[in-house]
Amino acid sequence: MTFASAVINNRFLGYVLTAIGVVSGSLLISPFRELLDLSNIALLYVLGVVAVGVKFGRGPAIFCGLAGSLAFAFVFVPPHFSLAITEWQNFLTALIMLIVALIVGHMTAELHAYTEAVEERAFRSSALNDVAQELAGQETTGDVEQATLKFFINTMYAIEPEFLTPDQFDQQSSPLTGALISKCLEQQHMVTKPSFKEGQSFVILPLVASTGVQAVLQFTVTTEAVESRSYCELAETVASFVAVVLERAHFAEMARSNELKSTAQNLRLTILSSLSHDIRTPLTSLVGMADVLMMGRNLAAEKQASLLSSMRSQALSIRQLVSNLLDMAQLQSGKVELNMVWQPVEEVIGATLKQAADITCDRDVDLRIEDGLPPLRFDAVLIERALWNLVENACKYSPEQTQIRITASRQGEFVDVTVSDRGPGLPPGKEENIFGLFQRGNPESCIPGAGLGLAIARDIAVAHRGQLFANNREGGGSSFHLLLPIQSPPVFQPEE
Amino acid sequence: MLAPDLVLLIEDDPHIRELIVSALECDSYKLITAGTAARGMHEAVQQKPQLLLLDLGLPDRDGLEFIRDFRGWSSIPILVISARTQESQVVAALDAGADDYLTKPFGVSELLARVRAQLRRAPVQHQESTPLIQFGDFTINCVTREVLKGGQLLHLSQIEYRLLQALAANPGRVMTHRQLLVQVWGGQASANHEYLRVYVGHLRQKIEATPGKPRHILTEIGVGYRFQL
Repeated sequence: MTFASAVINNRFLGYVLTAIGVVSGSLLISPFRELLDLSNIALLYVLGVVAVGVKFGRGPAIFCGLAGSLAFAFVFVPPHFSLAITEWQNFLTALIMLIVALIVGHMTAELHAYTEAVEERAFRSSALNDVAQELAGQETTGDVEQATLKFFINTMYAIEPEFLTPDQFDQQSSPLTGALISKCLEQQHMVTKPSFKEGQSFVILPLVASTGVQAVLQFTVTTEAVESRSYCELAETVASFVAVVLERAHFAEMARSNELKSTAQNLRLTILSSLSHDIRTPLTSLVGMADVLMMGRNLAAEKQASLLSSMRSQALSIRQLVSNLLDMAQLQSGKVELNMVWQPVEEVIGATLKQAADITCDRDVDLRIEDGLPPLRFDAVLIERALWNLVENACKYSPEQTQIRITASRQGEFVDVTVSDRGPGLPPGKEENIFGLFQRGNPESCIPGAGLGLAIARDIAVAHRGQLFANNREGGGSSFHLLLPIQSPPVFQPEE
Repeated sequence: MLAPDLVLLIEDDPHIRELIVSALECDSYKLITAGTAARGMHEAVQQKPQLLLLDLGLPDRDGLEFIRDFRGWSSIPILVISARTQESQVVAALDAGADDYLTKPFGVSELLARVRAQLRRAPVQHQESTPLIQFGDFTINCVTREVLKGGQLLHLSQIEYRLLQALAANPGRVMTHRQLLVQVWGGQASANHEYLRVYVGHLRQKIEATPGKPRHILTEIGVGYRFQL
């Protein structure tokens, strides 16, 4: 018998069924009393006692023994249908039957209780094992709470279980009261009180770990369940386990947020130093050139035009830098939510090339997309930005008029989108460095840029569980590989 | 000589306002400006402009709400101006009835091209629409539901045809994913973006010379598609 059926088992059912069994059994056998030996009939009653002991436990078994003896004496021992026993022999049979029935019933019930306890222990340890496994995999407090609630609903028959964290302790609502919570916290044990509904109890369970109370769990369950010792034991064991896991998740979250804060701090510092150099310089010349234009009444027309065009290009490079900085800050803050959608990869490549038309100018862009690539799941806006950065990088660092090649092909579990140029290539052994924040292949390069584009592109790749790496290309130049994972796309219903 | 087109610009930033005004006046448009939504609505009622340029981040009112109100009584084209990383706002504005969008920072040539396209499109809506749509060497016959490629019949499935027709009927106009889904699949389908992308992929295979560098069905990343004749 399992824990569950023990909870719902009705005590009286055993007695009632036993009584019915004894009466109907006696009546059934009574026509054959001439054929059967009296001692055999007595043994049939003993058999009944064993069966009742197995099924319903000690009480009904003893009851069965007594009722059976009476029925035996009444129906089978002559004179029939009278409790009187005239023969000394028959009296002895009835008496021995009663004693045997009581002993056997008692032992059977004992054995039965023992089996039940073993089964229950097995059930409990398997339930504990399941919940432990489930909880061990959870990283955040939210996930731990979800898994715990699921366990209490499915295995503990809890109705409307709910977590209450310490900061919510003073805003409880009925049936939860402050007194109940403080009692629970004081005793550090499960506290129950009868619920409004008959047969149900309201339970609060403290979740206490080494650093104190993590939370309390409140729920409603049948009164019968909370009266069972094993139910309470299991609930408290799980509670202490959950408390430890919650504590761990809480610390892990704190560590993560601290780490994030220090990364943000670092980023702020690097941005500040970059701003002071990469923005202040072009801004100075921008303001200066505007001054010259405003003052210079006798400036030659072509001089004016050249000043204006260099002001425009300075402003454009500041604009690019600022938008890269903003992208980076946003990506690093961890606040970017990916808008993951299934889509063909050629679509985002095409859109990137359209966006990049003013930087690729009249270069030959060779586009090779393998046939039959599966749709991928990604955030189109971010991947477009990553690809744009790769294309811009390729244009910046390769001689004008050289070809840029973009390919998309399947590489094992990934689709590899490669942007290749015919530039100087990468210094051997430094293929990784260029992806660092504010890292540039050649720090003193006169090509404008702050070393953000590739770092952003890599962050975007990583956020998609993809990769971004670079290598030198055969025949000169470099290749940047953006790898996006292939997942199984949703089943696509063909058109009717 | 036609009277110059009247453009209403609602933008709170004075520099951007000055930039747009000078750029458009160079191209001989006449401009009315407003710094707030309330002022803008007033000007729109008084002056009856032919085009509205609307910044989505106005101080006194939510841009989306403004568009919905405005659409209640006027059908002139609305071109919204949004900051970068506001794709979802742009989509909402287009769904609310805006016709096109520009993302800051934008170039002057881009601005002029969009304004021109919107003003060119506007009077066409009043003409009798013809059952034939032509682009490249393709002809769509909306009556027989046939698509010809250089005189040859092109086989399209039901959905591909409906999608192409929905796109081509609005050349130059950006259509959001939602608008296309509703037009092609009907009201219930508006969550299944994947369907749309797959069918656009199929359609490109059939009508684009280089599906990777489409000429007709252009992707507006994060927003939708734009058809180009």
